[in-house]
Amino acid sequence: MNKSLVKNTGFINWKKKLILIVLFGSLIVLVIGIFCLNFGVVTITPRDIMHLLINGTQDKTTNLIIWQLRAPRIVLGALTGAALSTVGGAFQGILRNPLADPYILGVSAGAALGACIGIAFQYITGYAFASYLPLFAFLGAMLSLYLVYKSSKISYSANSTGLLLSGVAITFLFSALITVLLALSRRELHSMIFWLMGDLSAANWKKISIILLPVFIGNAMLFFSALDLNALSLGEEEALHLGINTGRLRIRIFLIGSVIIATVVSFTGLIGFVGLIIPHIARLLVGPDHRIMLPIAAFLGAVFLILCDILARILLAPTEIPIGAITAIVGVPLFIYLLRRKNQ
Amino acid sequence: MKNCHQFLTLKDICYSYTKNRQILSDINFSLSESELLGIIGPNGSGKTTLLNVISGILKPYKGEIFIQNHNLNHLSIESIAKFISVVPQNTWVTFNFKAKEVVFMGRMPYISRIKGESQEDYKISREAMIKTHSLSLSNQNIQKISGGERQRVFLAKALAQSPKLLLLDEFTSHLDLTYKYEMLNLLKNILKKENLTIISTFHDLNLASIASDRLLLLNDGKIEKIGKPKEVLNKENLYKVYKVKPILINHPQFNVPQVIM
Repeated sequence: MNKSLVKNTGFINWKKKLILIVLFGSLIVLVIGIFCLNFGVVTITPRDIMHLLINGTQDKTTNLIIWQLRAPRIVLGALTGAALSTVGGAFQGILRNPLADPYILGVSAGAALGACIGIAFQYITGYAFASYLPLFAFLGAMLSLYLVYKSSKISYSANSTGLLLSGVAITFLFSALITVLLALSRRELHSMIFWLMGDLSAANWKKISIILLPVFIGNAMLFFSALDLNALSLGEEEALHLGINTGRLRIRIFLIGSVIIATVVSFTGLIGFVGLIIPHIARLLVGPDHRIMLPIAAFLGAVFLILCDILARILLAPTEIPIGAITAIVGVPLFIYLLRRKNQ
Repeated sequence: MKNCHQFLTLKDICYSYTKNRQILSDINFSLSESELLGIIGPNGSGKTTLLNVISGILKPYKGEIFIQNHNLNHLSIESIAKFISVVPQNTWVTFNFKAKEVVFMGRMPYISRIKGESQEDYKISREAMIKTHSLSLSNQNIQKISGGERQRVFLAKALAQSPKLLLLDEFTSHLDLTYKYEMLNLLKNILKKENLTIISTFHDLNLASIASDRLLLLNDGKIEKIGKPKEVLNKENLYKVYKVKPILINHPQFNVPQVIM
């Protein structure tokens, strides 16, 4: 018998692990966030930035660029990345499907349709209500959430396949409607496509204050279901044998996750790929225990999206690349590399 | 009450998935503590369904189940999980958990989601792994160990649940001969030491005959016969249920009937 295996049979208290993760994670996100304040069209030296952060500054332009343009964008990126990653991880858990992402249960397609309708309206009526776009998107998301929930109840609610199929079906329906809108559109096409690819450029503190609460409360609720998600990976019946009401668990996670996603994508558009890949990377790094994996995914997602947004801004500056394209272009090679290393 | 001294009682249990096909009809039997009951019967005779009805995840449309005088219908699935644990036939796990993490999931019914687990929970999980000789698998990826090893890990998980009744579904089906008899001895040891009652379905009649105190022979959802292996495994019963005429001999060591073709 291998001695090292026997020695290591102890269990490590996850609470200590969790506290460490939260402390280190927050620190790293903070450091990277501050570092990324350096990037932008106007050159501001790191010294000036540090000076501004510590003492404040008299220079109004610098103040405006840092506090009203760069900082909110970084904070919004961090929140969005964290939200997409944890919800993606939780959805993979309830659906027992590693291919699931936060968009698979239809809520994002609803948001997208809502936003596209809003954009079309704007052009037809000539009335500029860009600031109401998030409301359109959120209403669309709630509509699709309701439809998916209802149709999963009609089929077989005690089964993850029922929920998955309802989500995929509603996504197809809404995507078809979006395609119709895109086909009919002329000038508004560019805005629609940009929205569909995701965009953090319109970040401001007001938006952040709106999504902050749903993201924090929602994620806390997901973390408290982490043990149940672990049990669900043994299978539907096994989880029931462990005293877990799997039907209720699935609906709970679906609703919490969808509300988080609806709030976030209403402001940022559909930033793809993060919610699919970050949970996998988190699992490769720390194993599949959702109590550890979900918080790690949150921090990784935050860092990943901040960095992708910087790349989106500087790669072809002054032209901005849609961030949804960057996440995939950077993420796929990174993921394949990690997968290979794990298998060696 | 008549069945006060009985550990488990099933009364007139009827179950069907759809209206026109009855899966279980009028199942009546009782079990005393520390007994090992083997359920046998052909494919589709309702063995696994009966197990799922006893574990509470399928609700019979008629009849009642009492476990230590608690009516199973009145217990939540959380409380049932503290009485009954199950080793399933299918032991596939979606994500690559370590074996010890799977065993620890057995403590789930006892862990507060807010406070988290205690040292006691770790201790019980570890002991369950020692009892099932699976401690050396602790840090192995559950997806990468053999079917037999996974079976032992799942048995450890079921024991970590500190149940009073253990249900096994075709427990030995993935194991080769060596492991089958090792597992059997393991179970008998656990049965003696732990004050556990076990119900197991068996595909292999000879193994069932050696392992069980009593056998329950199911035929098309009804109890054909329940009793000691000698009373159940005879030519008439086997012909009635399996439609074959096998030869029966006596096992020289265990003194129970064995079926050969």
